[in-house]
Parts: sequence; C-alpha cells; structure tokens
Amino acid sequence: MEYQIWTEKYRPHSLSEIINQKHIVERLKAFVEKKTLPHMLFAGPPGTGKTASAIAIAKDLFGKSWHANFQETNASDARGIDVVRTRIKEFARIKPLNTPFKIVFLDESDSLTSAAQHALRRTIEQYSNVCRFILSCNYSSKIISPLQSRCVVFRFTNLSKEDVFTYLNRVIKEEKLNVDKPALEAIYELSEGDLRKATNILQTASSLGDKINDNIVYEVASQAKPKDVIEMMNFAVNGNFKPARKKLHDMIIKQGLSGQDIIKACHGQIFELEIPDEKKIQMINQIGEYDFRISEGGDSLIQLEAMLSQFMLNK
Amino acid sequence: MLWTKKYSPKKVSEVMGQSKSVEQFTLWYQNWKPGKKAALFAGPPGVGKTCLIEALAVEKNLEVIELNASDYRTSSQIKEVIGQSMKQYSLFKKGKIFLIDEIDGLSGRQDRGGPGEIVKIIQETKFPIVLTVNDQWNPKLSKLKTHCYLINFGKVNFWGMVKRLEEICQKENIKCSKDILKQLAKRSEGDLRSAINDLETLPKGKKEIVVKDLESLGNREREENVFDTLKIIFKTKSPIAARMSIQNVSKPPDEIFWWIEQNISNEYEKPEEIAKAYEMLSRADIFRGRISGRQYWKLLKYMIDLMTAGVALSKKEMYRKFSRYEYPDRIKYFGMTKFKRAKEKQQLLELSGRLHCSTKKIRTEFLPYFSMEQLS
Repeated sequence: MEYQIWTEKYRPHSLSEIINQKHIVERLKAFVEKKTLPHMLFAGPPGTGKTASAIAIAKDLFGKSWHANFQETNASDARGIDVVRTRIKEFARIKPLNTPFKIVFLDESDSLTSAAQHALRRTIEQYSNVCRFILSCNYSSKIISPLQSRCVVFRFTNLSKEDVFTYLNRVIKEEKLNVDKPALEAIYELSEGDLRKATNILQTASSLGDKINDNIVYEVASQAKPKDVIEMMNFAVNGNFKPARKKLHDMIIKQGLSGQDIIKACHGQIFELEIPDEKKIQMINQIGEYDFRISEGGDSLIQLEAMLSQFMLNK
Repeated sequence: MLWTKKYSPKKVSEVMGQSKSVEQFTLWYQNWKPGKKAALFAGPPGVGKTCLIEALAVEKNLEVIELNASDYRTSSQIKEVIGQSMKQYSLFKKGKIFLIDEIDGLSGRQDRGGPGEIVKIIQETKFPIVLTVNDQWNPKLSKLKTHCYLINFGKVNFWGMVKRLEEICQKENIKCSKDILKQLAKRSEGDLRSAINDLETLPKGKKEIVVKDLESLGNREREENVFDTLKIIFKTKSPIAARMSIQNVSKPPDEIFWWIEQNISNEYEKPEEIAKAYEMLSRADIFRGRISGRQYWKLLKYMIDLMTAGVALSKKEMYRKFSRYEYPDRIKYFGMTKFKRAKEKQQLLELSGRLHCSTKKIRTEFLPYFSMEQLS
C-alpha cells in the first residue's frame, strides 16, 4: 500500500469537518450558502487551518468541479511579480465553468515581494466579477495595506487543547492506534497548537509501533531540528568551534534549512542549554545581533558562524 | 632532476622555435670583440633566453658567470662578482660568458647604481655579456639600451613545442596522445618551460597520460594561486601584505571570501582569534550584501580590506606550523551537486502541490519526520 501522509489523509473535505475556529467557520458557511464570497485574507500561525479552510470552501462551493475552478499558488516558491502578471492573471480572466466565480488561493502571501503585491491590487479588482481571491499569511503586517483594504480579514488562532485532542482522537480511531493520555499531552505540548505538527509527530511515533506513550513522542520529536541546534550550540559554548561549524554546515548546506529557521531555533532552545543563566542572556543578545545582520543582507552561513564563534568567548 | 633541466638544449641548434633569434645571436657572438655592445635578449618567460646561453656554454665549453634577480645587484656587488672575473681567463674552460639575467628584477632602491655599473662593465669586459629582460620597454633599461644589441625572442612556435614535448615523452617512455600535447602547448601560451613543467606533473608515476589528467592540472594551477593567497593572509601581520595578496589571484573576491571562511579554523586555534576573524568576515559580509543588493560597487574595498587585513590581524602572532588549506564546502556543494539540487527542488515542488504547502515548509515541517521516499 502506498504510504499516505496523514495531514493529507485527514484533511477536512468540507467546512463542517473543520473542528476549530468556530466563529470563522460559521461565517464562511454562510458565504457558501449564499453562493457568494468576498476577497479574504486569512492570517494566523502555521497549522491552524488556513489552507484547509480555503480548500474546504472550494469543495463546498464547487463540488466535483472544484479542481477546475480553484487555483492554489504558493507564494513562498513563486513570489515574483511575473507570477502575478502571468499565471494568476491568466487563470483569473477566464470565465468559470458552471459557477458564478472561481477562486484563486495565494498561500503564504507574506512572501510575495512588495512589487508583486502592488501588481495584485488591480488584478483583484479587475477580475472580481469572475474571480475571488483568498490570501493566507502568518503575519498580516507583511501584506501591504491597499491589499488588506480589499479583503475581509479573518484571524486564525492557535488550536485549543480540546480541539487538538478531538482531531487526534479521530485519527487514532481511524488508524486503530493505542495512545495513552500522557502521550497526547506531550504531542499537544510539542505542537503548540499547530495541527500539522501534531499530526506529523503522531504519524512518526506510530511508525515505531501501535502502542504510543510519551517517551516515544519525545524521542520522535527530538529527531527534528532542536536536537541538532542544541548540539551545535553546546559545541560552541564549550569552545569546540570546528564541530559546531560542521553541524551548521550540515544543516544549511546538506539539509537546506534556512538561516532564519536555524537562528529562530537557536533562540527557542537557549533555555535547554545547561549553562549559567547570565550566559544565556548574553547569548540572546548575540543571537539578536546576528539575526539583525542577516536581515541587513548578510549571508546566513557566515553570520551564524560568526555567532557561534562569539559563543566561545562568553564568560 | 626536473625535466626542464634534464631536457634543456645541450647545443645551440637544439633551442626550439627561435631560429631567427639564434641566428642573430650566433652572428653577434662570432663578431664580438672587447669594447663591442652587449647582447640584450628580450622576450616573455620560458621561451629559451637563458637556455640559449647555457647551450652555447656546453657546446663551446665556456664558463657561465651568472647574476640574477636572486642576487643583490648594487654597483659594488656587481663589481665584486663580475669586475674581478672579467679580466681573468678561466682556469678550466676555454672562455667565459657573463649572463645578467632578469634585468626587470633590478630594484631601484636595493640595487642602487646597478645599471650604471653594468654599463661600465660592458665597456671594460674582455668577455661577452648577455642581458635578459621580459619587457624591452622597461624603463630600467633606458641607460643600458644604447650599449646593447637587442635580440628579440618571440613565443615558442606551437608545432615546435608539440614536437619537443613529444620527444620528451618518447625519452621518458610515456604514452601520450598528440591531442593532449597540443592542449598542453596551447594552454602554455608559448611558454615552453611551463609546458614541460605541466607535462612532468601529469603521469604521476604512471606510464600513460589520459585526457582526464589534464583536468587535475587546471585545478592544481588555479588552486596553487589561491593557496598562496591564503598563506599570506593567515601568516602575515601586515595589513598591506594581506590586502595585496588577493590581487594576483584570478578568482573574484567573492570566491576568495569562501576560501578564507573555510580555512580560518584550520589555521587559527585560539577561540578569541577565531571569533575575531569571524567578526571581520561577518562585517565584510554585510558589505557584500549591500554591494550585491544595491550595486554599490564602491563598497567593495571595505569588504576586501575586512576579509584580508581584518582576518590577518585577528591573530596575536603567526602560527609556526604547516596548515593544510581546504577547498570551500560551500563552493564544492554548489558546484558539484547542481544537478542533484535541481532534481531535489523538482521533487519538493511536486510535493508542495500535494501537501498544500511551500517547499520551505516541507523542509522544516515534514522532512524532519519523514524521508523523501515516504513523502513521494
């Protein structure tokens, strides 16, 4: 049997399957009933149902022909102005089949360059008779205000513990897993209300056996980035520059992680290190400085190396 | 023995591809009497200027008294070496010839009075004098030129060079196709010495040279340059020397930047020094970002100074050790696996459609948990 990723397998097929964000979902349902839709901006942290809601709307509205009338573009991979001028415009200007309008879903719109966002302004208005736009983003402040003013803004919030449990229990039932209560708590703790992360942790843990306890959950979750980052920082703090540098090279060059992600993880893991608290504060200041330098256009590899070499000096 | 020495011409007639210059020289030599002009050989490196004198010396059993740029050449020192000798006959050989090599290398300050002394010697000597120079328009020659008979040496002719390389291969019992020899000749740009040097490095103990060996040659030559640069930057305490070090490398500053990065921790050992050196690189990098982001090329000088002089001065004192400098990871990865990366990007894009998130998210949210095979 083909290996299926649960985040896709259990993706909601209809708005009524969406378990959280009740106030938003209700309004969305109302739009679907009236067969009308404003341009919308979904803002909120990752894994809170932005993409799921957009797809669910399309399925509810268009039924079987949803694929033909729904275009999903991920702005993080296609972020330039030419995408707006060619791909999006061409889809938007062609009349829809059997429906009053079609939907363009621009995921992670906060990655769109500002030129691209400006190009989008007119497109949204010009084709609004046949096409509605849904933009999603983590930070609405990164969307230029002329675009925000053309959209109804919905703010998605992190899932509550109950919501995460409801969803996980559904998956657990379907997959016939045996997950104890502490394990569920652990998954929620690690996911911080990010349903995608929670699902991924659960699926990985399930690959080790049907019986899942909290130890397994922690073990699985630490396979991910934080372990590498902590190891790297520990090398640096103890004055072993070469292995720290190697770890960093593995992450950036071999695994292709972005410097921003790593520096964020460094900051997030700092209190996991076993060093005096004064040192931690010093390091936070240093991390901030190099984060700034990266935003100033510095190369993340060099800047992170410089940061690690500074860690060695903290007294 | 180096092949350039082993296979240097033993007779004047063996000097390759310079028939006109050789003829001129022979005529000059035959007609030379005390009081006549010295010969001035002008031509690019490796075309046989010095070789010709050595060949003549072997053929006619002459003693060669040589003065080159590695010697001090002030007036008094020239007098000491040549002045005595020019009046005495050789004890063991039939005659003498003076060779003042690499006139371009005469230093204005340290070799003060050198040219004047050479003129004096030319007028007084009982034996012929030959001077060599790369650039006949070199201002250092202004005093000397009127006392010299100029003989121009051109680049070694292409086919002559191929023939010579072929002979060497035969004598060394090495199999090598004519195509390879032609390539060697071509890349040497008329410099026979460098071509022979290259040829010698190719077999590496084998008895056959294949086209693939040529690739290593390209790298070796280029990297040698950048290794020298690294050596200067990491060993010197002089900011000017460090800054100048990158001028003779054919690599752009951007690339040298990564060479320095790779090797800081290979050279420096003290944490403070590593941290300081990286701080310099970090600052240089900010300028690099500003240059590429906004095309402010005038900022390049700050980037270069910080990454060369800044890194050089990050050490308290020079490490008296041999450091093996490495090829930068960064460049290696981006060069070697371009194809692999393109394929991976393609895979990620396909996944991004199916999992409804960006390639970046797949890297951070899925790849830590699932393998690429599981996902696709």
